[in-house]
Parts: sequence; C-alpha cells; structure tokens
Amino acid sequence: MRLSICLLVLLLLCVELSHQKNPHDADIDDNDFAEFEDIEDEEEPSVLEEDRGASEQENAGEKKSSPQAAVDDKDEDEDDEATVETEDDEFEHFTDEEEFEGFDREKTAGKGKSQDLPDLKIAKVPLHLRTNWDSFYLEMLMLSGLGVYFLNFIAGKSKNNKFAQAWLNAHKDILLQNFSVVGDDGVSKETTTEGQIGTLMKESENVYALWCSGRIYVEGMLVELKFLKRQDLISTMAHLFKPLSDQVMVTVHLDTGVMDKYVFAVAQKKTAAKIHKEINDLAQFTEKKSSEKFNIPSCFQILSEIGEATGHVLDAKMCQVLTKYSESVEYIHISDQYSGLKAQDESQQQKMPETKPVLIFCFNVPGKGKSTVADIEKMRELLQLVMYCIDKASRIRLGRESLAKAEKNRQKAEEFFMKSAHAQRQEAAQQRREEKRRQEKERIMTEEDPDKTRKWEERESRRDMKRKQPKMKMMKVKAM
Amino acid sequence: MSTANNASDPRRPNKITRYKATASSGSQEDPTPDYMNLLGMIFSMCGLMMKLKWCAWCAVYCSFISFSNSRASEDTKQILSSFMLSISAVVMSYLQNPQPMSPPW
Repeated sequence: MRLSICLLVLLLLCVELSHQKNPHDADIDDNDFAEFEDIEDEEEPSVLEEDRGASEQENAGEKKSSPQAAVDDKDEDEDDEATVETEDDEFEHFTDEEEFEGFDREKTAGKGKSQDLPDLKIAKVPLHLRTNWDSFYLEMLMLSGLGVYFLNFIAGKSKNNKFAQAWLNAHKDILLQNFSVVGDDGVSKETTTEGQIGTLMKESENVYALWCSGRIYVEGMLVELKFLKRQDLISTMAHLFKPLSDQVMVTVHLDTGVMDKYVFAVAQKKTAAKIHKEINDLAQFTEKKSSEKFNIPSCFQILSEIGEATGHVLDAKMCQVLTKYSESVEYIHISDQYSGLKAQDESQQQKMPETKPVLIFCFNVPGKGKSTVADIEKMRELLQLVMYCIDKASRIRLGRESLAKAEKNRQKAEEFFMKSAHAQRQEAAQQRREEKRRQEKERIMTEEDPDKTRKWEERESRRDMKRKQPKMKMMKVKAM
Repeated sequence: MSTANNASDPRRPNKITRYKATASSGSQEDPTPDYMNLLGMIFSMCGLMMKLKWCAWCAVYCSFISFSNSRASEDTKQILSSFMLSISAVVMSYLQNPQPMSPPW
C-alpha cells in the first residue's frame, strides 16, 4: 500500500515534470550548447536516480513479483525519460519570477527589440539632422532683423532725398536770383548756365550739399542739408528717445576785405556754450554778453568781441527774424577770423591756422525730427536772412576805437600763438635730444668692450658736470 | 553786362569760384562708419576663429550699419570687403556646424 502510494507520488511527480519540461523551450531550442550543458551536468544525478529506482525495484521484486512489475518497468522507462527532465528542477528557480524579477520578460523584450532594429537606428540619428526649421528661430530673427533694417534703409533714404529736393525746390528762386552758379560739384567741366540748377551733391545718405557761387561780396556759399540718419534703423530708434532736428547749415565764404574785423555769434544757450568751447575764433576772441539789451528772445546767447559790431548786426530786422524763428535758428556766426574747430591735439599746431571771413548759419527744420515737406518750405525767410546778412556784413563799418581794439586782439592772439608754438618747438627739440642720448647710451651699454663703456661713462659724467657748473656760478654771483 | 543791372542784381558771373570739397566741408566728419567697420572686422574674426555664430551675425549687422552710414566719397571696396568677410564668417560657421545658433547667454 505504502509502495503504491510512493509510486503514485512518483507518477504525479513525473506528470508534473513532463508538464514543466522545458518551460522556455524556445530558448533551449535555440541554444544548442545549453542542451549539452544540461546533459553533462545531469548525468550524475540521473545515475543516482536510477540507483534509487533500482533499489525500489529490488524492494518490490523482493516483496512481490506481481504482474505490476511490468507496469513498473514501463513506469521506470517513463521515469528514466522523466529523470532527465527532473534535473531541470535544479534550474527551476531560473524560471521563478520571484527569484529573478523580469528575467523572462527581458528576454522577450530583447527579442522584440532585435526585431525592431530600424527603430533603434532612428534613435541614433545625429541631433542636427532631426532638427526642423523651428529650432532655427534665432537665425530667423536675425534674418528678419536684417530685412527690417534694409527696408528702413530704403525708406529713410528716399525720405531724406525727398526732403532735399523739397528744400531745393522751395529755395530755387532765391538762389537763382542771388547766384550765377547754383549747384556746382567741382568736378564737371562746365558750370551750369544762369537760371539752371546744377547738382545737389550727396555726401552721404543723410547729408546733401549745394555750392553756389558768382555773387557780389562772396566767394561762394555752401548749403549743407544735414538730415537725421533716417536710413539707419539704430539711429532712428535712438531719435525716438532723444528727438533731434534736421539741420540746414549755410556757410558763406566772403571775399577778403569785405567785412570789418570782428567776431560775433548769436546762438541758442546750450549751443552757445558748446561752440564757444569748440570753435577756434569764438574761443579766442569772444566773450559771453547778455542778450537783454537787444530785442531778442531770452533763449539766445550772444558771443561777441566788439560791442559796436553787436549793435550793428542785431538791427531791427535781424531781431524780428530771430524772434519769429527763435526755434529754428540754432546759431549765427559772423567772423573774419574763422579757422574751423579747435585742434584736438595742440602739439600739431606748428603754424598759425589759416583764417578767412565767413558767415555760418545753422537752422533747425521745424518739427523736431517729425518734419514734413511743408516745414521745409517754411524756411524760405531764413535763406533771405542769409542774403540780407551778406549785404549787411559788407556794409558794417566799425569806428576807429573798435577797429583799434580788434587789431590789438588779433595781434595778441598772434603773439600768444607764436609763444606757445615756440615753447612747443623747444619742447620737441629737447625731447629729440633726450631720445638721441638714450639711444646712444643703449648702444654703448650693449657694446662688449668694457673699456669703451667706461670711457663713455666718464665722458658723460664730465659733460654733466659742465652742464651743472655754470648754474652754480650764477647762483654764487646772485648770492654776492 | 550793363553796370545799371549790377546795382540791383547781386549776381556776378565773372567771379565764379569752383567748389573745393576739402576746403569747405569736412569739419565734423561722422566717425560711425569707421567704428562699425572696425567692429565688424573684429566680430568676423571672432566668428571665424572661435566659431561663434552670434559674432558672425553681429558682424553682418555691423557691416550693414557701416554701409548705411558711409560717406558717398568713401571707397566702396572697403564696404564690399567688410560685407564679404562678415557673410563668409556666417557661412563658414554654419558649414562647420549646421546646428542652430545657441544664444551667447
């Protein structure tokens, strides 16, 4: 009975094992070596099993030689077959999910991956090939910025050109009435005939110039239209925060001897301080004078050398125009000693700067940068003022006292200049000497012969002594 | 020309002076184009040598500003060369590394 139970248990076990036999057969099928390993490893245990089976059989044989023995034999055969598999028991824990979490799953997943190899390649594609146009947003921004800049360039350029033409058209008749040649560029072989307008020279996208010549008292007149840099987007944006005006600058080069000797300027207060510092003749000759005595708006500051001339220049008509165009007149500068802006580097002034009599007018176009063509056309009267001033300057004759004062001022300026130039020359000569000595010393020091060096040093020391001695003597003389 | 006409007419066709560019103008030259040219060159070099894309772009902007502010009398070769240099800086930096630009910050 016991035996039968034992056999039953064994049978059940076999059935169970045959069920469990190779739970992941696919793997083993694939892996031939695994099978071999199994067989090799399991040889010994199978022997043991067989031994056990044999002993059991013997026991059975001893106890009863029954027809069951045949059945047992069969069972044994089955057992034998099964025993090979039973050895798998030892490796059963490999398939145990609790023992190896996700062990099987990984395998299957791995298989899945190997099937989807193209996908894996896509993942390895370099980043930049995968990027689309959206990621180039900064480049887009840059290009659009350039596009906007270019459009603004064209728009601003054409606007400035329009203004220049508008100015020329508005003032055409005054210019033609006053000058034989209007618009000479200095290049063309023949100047324009009377009654015709020549070229308006374009110095840059925002500066235009017009040269007029052939008038009594004047050598020529240069009109510079200095517009805002509308073609430059950055300047345009800067002007939004700091509004500036378009300017018309008229420089009249008078014939020498036409005007008397005086320097005079009337300017907006802020500008007056600036030009008083920067322009050579104003800095040299003029002083700030109060504008209260004259009938001009308080926003103006007078810079004048000779009081008498101030009175002559600021006559009723001039005061009237200044009052009417107090916003538009930036400054008016009348001088017989104009020599341009002060040199930045004073050492460059080796000779007296060339002076010439000029009238300079600087007008602002009304509108503070938001000017229109109509604003430009309103400036006609200012050009008439220029013509009036030319004639006026030629008519003003100073009294003897004022003339003498002016003459004295010019002589003083010249002397001052000569002195400073002389001092500068001396300084330069001294520097040259020092430099020469230093070079010689260096040369001697690098000389290999020590005798030469010693000799040179002695000579130098003697020279130094000589240089010092006379001074000592003089001091002694003084002391006596 | 009759002398009677001269009294009222200020025009004198016999005393015409030709325009001299150097004598009359040039008191206050605008230094912007020169500065921008220099800055553009520096940016181009940075863009080319250090492969900084934003530098190359800045160089393009600088040459644009220099161009728009340039004087009419100025040599066009200089502006052209500054353009070429800055554009080549951009092209080279994108040929070497076609990735989109990363901002300098």
